[in-house]
Amino acid sequence: MSRARIAVLQFPGLNCERETLRELQRSGVDASIVRWNEGPSRIRDFAGFVIPGGFSYQDRVRAGAIAAKSSVLDTVVREVEGGKPILGICNGAQILVEAGLVPGEEPGRVDVCLARNRIEGWSGYHSRWVFVKAHGDGNFFTGDLTEPLPLVVAHAEGRFVSRDREAWERLRRKGRFVLRYCDSEGRDPRGFPDNPNGSPDDVAGMSGLDGQVLAFMPHPERAAHLWQVPEDLPGVWGERRRRAAGDRSALMGDGPGRVLLRAFARLNRGGST
Amino acid sequence: MAIAVSSMDDRTLEETLRSMGITLTLHEARRVAELLGRDPTETELTLFDTMWSEHCSYKSSRPALKRHLPTEASNVVLGPSEDAGVIHFTEVDGVRWALAIAHESHNHPSQVMPLEGAATGIGGVVRDVYCMGADVIATLDPLRFGDPHGENGERSREIAREVVEGIAVYGNALGVPNLGGDVVFDGCYDDNCLVNVVAIGLVREDRITRSRVPEAARTEPYDFLLVGKPTDWSGMGGAAFASADLDAEALKENLGSVQVPDPFLKRMLVLANQAMLEVAWREKAAIGFKDLGAGGIACVSSELADAGGFGIELDLDEASLAEGDLPAPVAACSETQERFGIACPARLTPQILRIYNEVYELGSMYEGAGARKVGRVVPPKEDEEPRYLLRRGAQVLVDAPISTITEGISYEREARPAVVHFSERALPAQGRDFAADLLDLLASEHLCSRRPLFQHYDSEVKADTVLRPGEADAGVVTPVEGSWAGMAATVDGNHRLCRIDPYLGAAHAVVEAARNVACVGASPAAITDCLNYGNPEVPEVFHAFVEGVRGIGDACRGLGRIEAPDEALPVVSGNVSFYNQNARGKAIAPSPIICCLGVTPDASTCRSLSLKEEGNLLYRLGAFHGELGGSLWAEWVDPQWVGPLPPLDYAAIRRELALVVALVRERKVQAVHDVSEGGNLVALAEMALGRESRGRWGLRVDFSPLWKEDADAPSAAGATDGGTGGGKRALSPEAVAWGEDGGFWLEVRPTDAAELERRAEEAGVWCARLGEVSSGRKMVVEGLPTPVEIDLDGLAARRERGIFELLRRDVS
Repeated sequence: MSRARIAVLQFPGLNCERETLRELQRSGVDASIVRWNEGPSRIRDFAGFVIPGGFSYQDRVRAGAIAAKSSVLDTVVREVEGGKPILGICNGAQILVEAGLVPGEEPGRVDVCLARNRIEGWSGYHSRWVFVKAHGDGNFFTGDLTEPLPLVVAHAEGRFVSRDREAWERLRRKGRFVLRYCDSEGRDPRGFPDNPNGSPDDVAGMSGLDGQVLAFMPHPERAAHLWQVPEDLPGVWGERRRRAAGDRSALMGDGPGRVLLRAFARLNRGGST
Repeated sequence: MAIAVSSMDDRTLEETLRSMGITLTLHEARRVAELLGRDPTETELTLFDTMWSEHCSYKSSRPALKRHLPTEASNVVLGPSEDAGVIHFTEVDGVRWALAIAHESHNHPSQVMPLEGAATGIGGVVRDVYCMGADVIATLDPLRFGDPHGENGERSREIAREVVEGIAVYGNALGVPNLGGDVVFDGCYDDNCLVNVVAIGLVREDRITRSRVPEAARTEPYDFLLVGKPTDWSGMGGAAFASADLDAEALKENLGSVQVPDPFLKRMLVLANQAMLEVAWREKAAIGFKDLGAGGIACVSSELADAGGFGIELDLDEASLAEGDLPAPVAACSETQERFGIACPARLTPQILRIYNEVYELGSMYEGAGARKVGRVVPPKEDEEPRYLLRRGAQVLVDAPISTITEGISYEREARPAVVHFSERALPAQGRDFAADLLDLLASEHLCSRRPLFQHYDSEVKADTVLRPGEADAGVVTPVEGSWAGMAATVDGNHRLCRIDPYLGAAHAVVEAARNVACVGASPAAITDCLNYGNPEVPEVFHAFVEGVRGIGDACRGLGRIEAPDEALPVVSGNVSFYNQNARGKAIAPSPIICCLGVTPDASTCRSLSLKEEGNLLYRLGAFHGELGGSLWAEWVDPQWVGPLPPLDYAAIRRELALVVALVRERKVQAVHDVSEGGNLVALAEMALGRESRGRWGLRVDFSPLWKEDADAPSAAGATDGGTGGGKRALSPEAVAWGEDGGFWLEVRPTDAAELERRAEEAGVWCARLGEVSSGRKMVVEGLPTPVEIDLDGLAARRERGIFELLRRDVS
């Protein structure tokens, strides 16, 4: 059975497509970069999609807003509604919520947006290593996760917010908050910096449709190998990293972000798992 | 229309030039007419104004640079001749990889419009590296701001905030990791901040592109293409502005000189450039590739052609202009950002235009952006000098022998040493509390955590980053796929040392930069220098400049290269920025800033500087002399006190660097940190705190062996006259605690201790075991006149709060 092909979508202004491609390939995924203007038939060829991080269309209007309204995304949305998985990382996540794929309660309706970070004394872009933990199950990407994962966030707008309290509660009950910030031991955060952007309920990743869609703020491609993890992190991953110093094969081993990228490797050519 | 410079009297000429916004002296304007053999057009005067500015011509600095700086070494692929210097990096599967590096200043624009100035500073320096055919893999930004607590404190903090924002806005969106930088606050920068930027790129050695029309243009037709943003008013006169005094009047007038950054368009332009280079490579076609900086279209086209020995003809009507009625001198010379010039074989022109205009649709990102053919290369004829011809339709704007334009101009400046008197009185050190001073220094703007700044930048895009800013003394990336070869980079420059001794201070910057890359196991491979000084027409300033250049050159020769001890550490690129001074005309402290590139074959061995494990031993490595002149602590205690700088013993430093590099690569050390600002006490505190001030361990050390006369100095090796270990003179406890002579602290496993001591002894490097890593969050230093027992959580809180208080950016 041949492997499924995954498209890494390159919108103007995204800037993480190459390392995302690299780490998908190293996860055993057959992936290629597809430009925004290559036409709909090319898009339909693929069994799944990743929208990487960056600054699509210069974050004009709102981060992700322009790409979400582009014609290529219409094609992508139809394919995803037909059951193909899609992962949006950082700006990719912003695009997915702006396109209404997350949470995807009703086709095309935008229920959630990613608002500006809320940090005491600092506004705008903020980059830091944080911990996230999976909650609930039935999600295409996070099924295997048990331990708290250190990952790096790097964004200015990462705070998931919804239109109203009731809508938010509904999403919570439906188990849409599949990845949440935590401390190095997996406990609930006590605000900043464990929760790096003020996201309510510490939401780091939200799922959409039937669980084949994930909008995720941290960058798994920057934590796909153990060597990418900082030595000074608390918790077991930091300990592993320090112990591996100087040991190339241990350092090339899986980092905490690998598991999210590897989900695509389970797909066969038909697009199902 | 010609300007009658040869027949005008002085006063008319002066008025004419100034009304045109031209900064050429009367003598220079007349020289232009002489060279052309006729009166120049307005566009020609504008072009020469740029080409002869200090910024472009190095008219004051060139002789000193040529005389003192070593630029050759066996690892140099391309010395300082083009936009970026290139050195050999590593070889993987038969492919040789190189690093291209450029170092620029954007001081005056950042003082006027800090956000845009800093952003276009990055935008400009990365173009210098991209046009070598390289992909930019890192930027670093050395910054100097005014006293945040002084008279202009509010403005200085505002500038700092905005500059940091500008760096983030541009670098983050471009997708290039920020790998380091430093921030210094001092009153001498109150009216003139320094924003220097370094860009480093990776390129296959066989695919380096040159900024000149290639030889192939003699045998086949070559076109000149302009790609990127449409030409507009922005950045007009920027080079002249960079080369002028910055007074209040000039500030107002020069707002238009600041360029407009567009990292979004640049990102797309970079992708299109890479596709273009790929096509050229596939078609085995040599091209000339150069970025547009100061002097715009006229400058880039004349330099590209002249460097290859060709002539060139251009028609501005073919160029994309943002406004149709742009005056000719503006269209020809404005420094509109995000543009490149390409000389390519005419047969490839349609394919290349398609990449920019259709595949990457630049026109849909920015109105009028894209690629256009605007001229053609003219092969030299036998008995005629190659000409430069710039037209706008039928109107001739510039018509001159091309060498006339590019030849440049130079000045012999007068140099006179400024007299510095050492204070006769001693530093008022009596009765000071070492622990209190340490706490205060680490909370001060000088040493507080830079975390909020580097967390405002993206240090991990490209996913090749091994060590981030603040994690170790140098940032490290592994940019070649499938290889562990690591590129280490750091920037350094200490104005306190240079203020007292411009020669030795500049040399210290080189040594400190080399020490920083050694800390991650990288051998210093090359440096770049950005030389920030005052007005070169002032003899004392010019003398300080020449002394700085001499100091850098001597340090490069003194340190050499670990792999090739007979070679000097090469200077492969650099920049000179003059006219940095305050509103009253007083020059900034001499501020040469050095970037050192280091190379390690195995970045898996790189370690962070934070303490790793309780029970490990702490060693002080490297001799020191105990001079406090120019130290941060001395300035803290008494800003008026002036004393001699620590001397530099290059032979001893060479041995230390080689030993540290070897020990890191052999995994014999768990953490390394060099001793710089704040001396031994600060270095140890930084190791205990780590990048985010949340280190796990404490430490306990005893300083008495370092200074007490009756103590057994551990080794005489490596120390020169009067230094610790020499046993001839006891040092003061203050000098031991706060002196900035360099050296290193190493954390070593007990099982590696004997090996370390043996290796140090063999290498002739002074080394002493002074303590250990302890459990509990306490830093205990014994053997000083007042007890140092510091709660690290409290210290962490103060260190982290410092810069937040200065630069807080509350959500509006």
